[in-house]
This record gives sequence, C-alpha cells and structure tokens, in this order.
Amino acid sequence: MAAAGGKTYSFKVVLLGEGCVGKTSLVLRYCENKFNDKHITTLQASFLTKKLNITGKRVNLAIWDTAGQERFHALGPIYYRDSNGAILVYDVTDEDSFQKVKNWVKELRKMLGNEICLCIVGNKIDLEKERHVSVEEAEGYAESVGAKHYHTSAKLNKGIEELFLDLCKRMMETAQLEERSRGNGASNSSTGRRGVQIVDDEPQAAVPAGGCCTSG
Amino acid sequence: MIRRRRETAMDLRLYWKKLKTFWKTLSLQRQMMENLIIAKARQDALQRKMEERRLRLQEEANRRFATCGTMTPEEQEQRVLYASVLEYEQDHEWPKIWKAKLKKSPNDPALVSGLIACLLSYPDHPVMKLLKRLQYRSPFKSALTHSLSDASISLSPSRDLNANDTKSEADPDDSSSLLTTDRENSFEDLEKFLTQLDWVPSHSGDDDDTDPDVTFESQIHDLEERALKEHLKAIVKDIHNAIDRLLSLCLLSFECLNTANSKDQCVASMEEVFFTPIWRPLLALFRKVHGEREQAVESSMHLYHHVSPGDVGVASKLFPRDLAVLHGSYPYESAVQELKLLCREYCPQKKLECIVRTLRIICGCAEDYRLLQENDPPPRSAAIGADDLLPILAFVALRSEMPQLVSECAALEEFIHEGYLIGEEGYCLTSLQSALTYVESMLPSGAPPPAPKPT
Repeated sequence: MAAAGGKTYSFKVVLLGEGCVGKTSLVLRYCENKFNDKHITTLQASFLTKKLNITGKRVNLAIWDTAGQERFHALGPIYYRDSNGAILVYDVTDEDSFQKVKNWVKELRKMLGNEICLCIVGNKIDLEKERHVSVEEAEGYAESVGAKHYHTSAKLNKGIEELFLDLCKRMMETAQLEERSRGNGASNSSTGRRGVQIVDDEPQAAVPAGGCCTSG
Repeated sequence: MIRRRRETAMDLRLYWKKLKTFWKTLSLQRQMMENLIIAKARQDALQRKMEERRLRLQEEANRRFATCGTMTPEEQEQRVLYASVLEYEQDHEWPKIWKAKLKKSPNDPALVSGLIACLLSYPDHPVMKLLKRLQYRSPFKSALTHSLSDASISLSPSRDLNANDTKSEADPDDSSSLLTTDRENSFEDLEKFLTQLDWVPSHSGDDDDTDPDVTFESQIHDLEERALKEHLKAIVKDIHNAIDRLLSLCLLSFECLNTANSKDQCVASMEEVFFTPIWRPLLALFRKVHGEREQAVESSMHLYHHVSPGDVGVASKLFPRDLAVLHGSYPYESAVQELKLLCREYCPQKKLECIVRTLRIICGCAEDYRLLQENDPPPRSAAIGADDLLPILAFVALRSEMPQLVSECAALEEFIHEGYLIGEEGYCLTSLQSALTYVESMLPSGAPPPAPKPT
C-alpha cells in the first residue's frame, strides 16, 4: 500500500484532560463551523469528525473526547485503544491539571507504546498572569517523554489550528513509516484492528478541499 | 427295463421342459439386463453432458481465478461456488437483467438495494444456498429453545473444537464441497455444548455440605469459564468467516456490487438476514460468559434505580430541578426509552444505530434542560462534552434496568465493522460500555448491600 494520492487516512485522536481545563472548548473552536447552525441530533462536543486536505492527501480525523473526572479514570483504556494521536490538555493556571497530564502520558505509553503521537497542550494562555506551570517545565517534560508541547487559548482562538495541523502531519509520517516497514515485511494483507486505516479511494463528491467539518 | 426307459424318457422330457423355462428366464434376464444397460448408457450420456457443462463452467471459473501454484481450500471453494453461480445464471434470466440495469447506472443505491432484495428472494441462488447452509445447519436455530439460565458446563466442547480445527488444517485436499464440514462441526459442538448445559444441573444447593470440594469446585469453575470463553471466541471467528464467505460469493455473483458504497449495502443486508435468526442463542452464550458482570450491574440497577441524575454526577445545570416541567416523566426518559429498543433488534448494525440515537437524544435533552435554566444569557453553544455525557449515560443505563446491555455491548464489540470502529458508532458503543462499567463499579465492594442511598 503506497501512500500515493487517492488514499484517505483515517486517524483517531483522543482528547484527555481534567474537567475544567477547557478541552471541550478547544475542539469546539477547532470545529466551529459545525455549530453555526443548530444541530440537535449530533453528538456535539463529545465526538467530532473533520475532513482535511494536507499536502494533497485526504485525512479524516475522528476526535474522541473522554471524561476527565477521577471516577472515570479506570474507563480510559477502552477509549485509547487504536488511537493514532492523543491531545493532553492542562490549564496553565492549574499545577494539578499538569500533574494529571503526566499520569495520562504514562498510561498511554504503557498501552500504546511509541506509535501514538502525543501533544501536550497548555490551554488558557489568555490568563498568562495567573500562570502556575512554567513554560520551561512543561516543554522540558514534553521533550522527555517524546511529546510535543503547544500553547493555546480556546477563548482567543490561538494556537488551535496549528496544534491540529501539526498533529495530523506527525500522524501521517508515523503511518507512512509503518506502511514502509510493513511493505518490507512479509505481508501487507491484514492490519487487524490496530493502527492506521487507509481507505481505498472512491469518488466522493462531497469532499471539499481544506478543513471543513461534517457532522459525525 | 422298459419301465426304466420310459422313466428316462419322461425324465428327459421333464429336463427339457425345465431347460426351456430356464432358457426363457435367462433370455428374459438378458433382455432386462440389456434394457438396464441401455438406460444406464442414456443416463451416462446425459450425465456426461451435464458434467461437460459443469466442467466448462468450472473452467470458466478457473480462468476467472487464474492463479499459479497451489490453491488454498478457500480458493477451491470459491471456484466451485462460482461455477455453480454460472450454472444458475444459465438457467435463470433475472441476474442478467439486473446486471444490465446496474451497468447502465452503477452506484444507484435504489438499484443496488433492489438487486439485493431480489437476490434474497431467490432461495435457490447459490448465495442464498450458502447462507442457509452456514446458518441453518448451525445449531444456533435449534438452540433457540434451550434455556441457558442456570446450568453449568462441560469442558469437552472446546477440546473437541480444537481437535476439529487441527483436523481441518491437516487435510486441505478434500475441499470441494466438504469445505463446510469443519465449520458445521464446530457449530455442532455448540449444539452439543448447549444440550450439556441443559443436562448438567447447577450445584447451587449442596455446595455448603461439601467443604473439602470447595477448592476443587472453584478450580473446575475456572476451567469451565476458560473453556466457555474459548468456545465463544471460536464461534465469533466462525461467524466472521461465514459473513466473509457470503460477501465474497455475493460480489463474485454480481461484480457490479464491488464498489465501496454498494459493498456496504451488501454487507448490511447479508448481516441482517444472517444474524436475525441466530442473535438470541448467540446472545445467550455471551450472557453466560459475562454472567458475573451482568449480576453486578443488575444489583446496581436495582439499588440505584430511583436516584436523581445529580446522584450519579450529572451537572446540576443539565437536568431540571423542578420535575414538574417534565409533566410526570423523569429526566432523559426519552433516551431511556430509545435504549430499551436495543433488545428488539437482532442485527448488530441496527443495534449500533440504536445506541447512536440514544446518545444523540441525550445531547438534545441536555441542551433543552440547560436552556430551561440559563435563559438570561443564552449560552453560545450548549454542546456537551464527554465530562457531561458519561454521567448522563450512566444515569440512562441505570434507568433502563437492562443488565443484558453488558452482553449486548460485548457482542457488538465483536461484530462492529472496522470502518465504524473509530467513527460515531464506535464512540457511542465505547461510551455505553464505559457507562456500564461505571454502573457496575457503583456497588460497594462485596455482595449487594442493603444500603439504599448512593453517595
């Protein structure tokens, strides 16, 4: 399976973060167009899809929100399974939320190894004055665990587009690497339920180029 | 002397007479023989003609599957099946008509569903014959009448099953029409296994008297559980194989269906007819495997049936404090009603759709309830994220009072299409499973307690 044009990448991204860090606002911002008109029958902010066109390749993004409350922690693993990427959000004004991110990183690495692309996101940079997690500490930590660090503000719509675009590119690189290594290996027949799914191309009129949302 | 001579003459006459009758019988027999030979020759000629036709079609099928080297039994079977499809099409007109129609306007969903409906209505088409063979020779159907509720199981089925597996791998040459046997055998195992469930009564009563046996019994219990899980795994694999075979024969018969969209439609229809008669016994097996979890969930549902949404962690802005506005119903009742419909479907895809609808209704209700409260500054968007969704879903699951949801979800997880796994269906299924796990964990550790109030 070569990643030539005409293939569509499908990626699953899980969204993790404590209750008040603003992860829901973050994805809502990213998929804003969706909420211009009233959709009562969508899953709204819990499950979102977005179709993108990155360097000529089509990408279908499925964003899975997870519950951040402590009592739902044990349920995490069934959400992470088969994820290609994870966005771990903390509130820059809340040291505790950053500690929670560290726990999730450990869990994700344990479950999914190095195949998953991790993004650690410090949200609410509009509240810079009340910052409790230093930039150096956060970026240092991210580097130490092989994650990338981003700063965003859902309120001011800052850094969000870049975050998702960057994540998509990294997931595509990982997928291409995997394809190549599979190509060298014995067979490329069944990928099972793990990893990236590459769907054969088919004529689909309703795929506009550029980032446009479709309801999930 | 004279007398003797006379006697001899009489004897001779008698012999002659006997000889004549014998001769007559003999010639009669010869004639009959000849007739038989002629008949046989005619039959042979006819058969040769049939065989020639079959071979011709088989060759055509072989050309279609031009491969080099050895064939797998699956490929062999496909050839045989394809030949039977060609034979069918020589005798029947309708496939040609539909093919022509679809050639004119391919990908027309109405035409595709029309063709599939037509195919389903011809029980003598090879696809439908294969379906029936895979489905009705399985004991799933006969198992419908069996009760699985309180019985313990025997270890033998999974061992038999393994034996069958290795056997079928060992001799791939007797493939042609016997390909189905190993699968049938495994289905037979299920039948055997289900009957054993009925024969062996549970030991619930006399456990207390036999203390020394307790550890032994728990070991047996563990072994039984493992055997049961293995068995379920084998059944699930068989079902996946059966559906794959049906789909590939379907696409062989009608190449015009081999586009992404038509294929999806095809799979959906095939699954619906395949699963409908077998879902109940299949679910019974899943319920047997997940019995303990179901019991825990049932206790929770029983204990916390009448709690308020707030008690399971639903944010106060997401349900009305004054229940009078709901006119006698309770919060999220419409979602509970929708979820209850899940058990009335017998096809995985339909069940998944039901779960998706349930979650969408929850989102709709949440939005309504929030607007009910915050009417001064209307929120920019009332969309709820997973932080809010999961507690509500747990509340809805509690109110549904259907502990079998645990097994239904486990079965759906096995049969959900890979393409849907990361999509909305997959997300909703995962959420419902999480909510059920949460409901299960609400029970204080240990046996179901009498405490009526949760945290």
